[in-house]
Amino acid sequence: MAAIEPMEQFLVHKVVDLPPIPIPGLGALDMSITNSVLFMLIAAGLISVFFLAASRRAVVPGRMQALAEMLYGMVDGALTGAIIGDRGRPFLPFVFTLFLLIATLNVLGLAPGGFTVTSQLAVTAALAVMTFSIVLAVGFARNGLGFFKLFWPSGVHWGMGVFLMIIEFISFSVRPLTLAMRLFGNMLGGHVVTYMFASFVIGLGLFGLHGAGIEKLGLVGSGVSFAMIVALLALEFVVAFLQAFVFAALTCVYLNEVVNLDHGH
Amino acid sequence: MADPTSVAGAAASQGAGGLPQFDVAQWPGQMVWVLITFAVLYVLFAKVFVPGVGGAIDAREDKIAGDIGEARRLRDAAVAQADAANGEMTAARARAQKLAADAQGEAKAAAAARQAGEDAKLTQTLAAAETRIAAARAAAMAHVRAIAIEAAQAMITRLTGTSAGAGEVERALGNAGRTARQGAQV
Repeated sequence: MAAIEPMEQFLVHKVVDLPPIPIPGLGALDMSITNSVLFMLIAAGLISVFFLAASRRAVVPGRMQALAEMLYGMVDGALTGAIIGDRGRPFLPFVFTLFLLIATLNVLGLAPGGFTVTSQLAVTAALAVMTFSIVLAVGFARNGLGFFKLFWPSGVHWGMGVFLMIIEFISFSVRPLTLAMRLFGNMLGGHVVTYMFASFVIGLGLFGLHGAGIEKLGLVGSGVSFAMIVALLALEFVVAFLQAFVFAALTCVYLNEVVNLDHGH
Repeated sequence: MADPTSVAGAAASQGAGGLPQFDVAQWPGQMVWVLITFAVLYVLFAKVFVPGVGGAIDAREDKIAGDIGEARRLRDAAVAQADAANGEMTAARARAQKLAADAQGEAKAAAAARQAGEDAKLTQTLAAAETRIAAARAAAMAHVRAIAIEAAQAMITRLTGTSAGAGEVERALGNAGRTARQGAQV
């Protein structure tokens, strides 16, 4: 019986070795193609091919174009348009890319033999810090030092205001952490649980096959576990889409705060 | 777990259940790669995909709006033409009715004029006939006197055997005729 190693699926290993790039003062940067990088490239390739095929600008859309337009309509309508409003259009490419990249990486992780790039904390942290940095950059570019009004609650006594400002500042500062941990945790947890049920299917199944008498009940456990995997996988597809949507929606919420700081708050 | 190509393998097995994701040695490469991937995709989306898909949607909306506008314009033109045709029809009908009425009036007038002509001719003929009749009657009446005198002479000759002169008879007849006429008048 194979060892139960639920974390093995998250191991990063090199696929193509590339010479490290020396960074002055920091040491060498290993840019080798790992399985993680490989799946990033696969995702980027799939997205590019799909959208190249879908960008035919036909008046009567084919299937690909209809799907691309549906996604466009969802991101434009439900994310940037609904959350940021009229000023959301310039952020459409950013939110669209974020949503599609995360969704594709999540779904590729569910494919047999796939690697879940979004279950790597390094990846989710990089995306979260990038998003947070862009929110900060947009905030300062649009409002200058008026950006700090974001932390000042309106209509309260100044003593209370200072207290609330500290809380607001803390909650703002932990955003990259929560953004990264939410996606990482969801992907990690789903895959570990699926792996555990899969190991039950085999473990209990073998136990039932080789056992006698009451031990035959292991086959029932194996069947129940298999049904659980089917249900969990269906749930995981929802989670894969939903977590990408949540990441994009939160990005829009954060952008909305700094873009519409001068009115409506 | 004994994967020779795995960098994190050793660390994970040493860590006894530690997550491979916390192996910081794997972080820089993945972070840089995901940012590169994202940047490339972002440029593609900003420059190609979003304008492409959005442009197709906008072009379709423009086309639909244009087609609806064109259809509305054509319908308005058709309605205007139908109105014009109706107006022309009404005018033509009025003209035709006027023409018919005029013709009828003319025909009536001509008939009346002809009738009047015929009437006048008839009256003239009637008058001429009456004049002729009167002349004939006068002539006849003049002969009646001579016939009466002859008849009276013949009767006198038969009855008396003597002949009476025409002058005497005529006188007698003249008296008788006068008294008879007077009696008739009374």
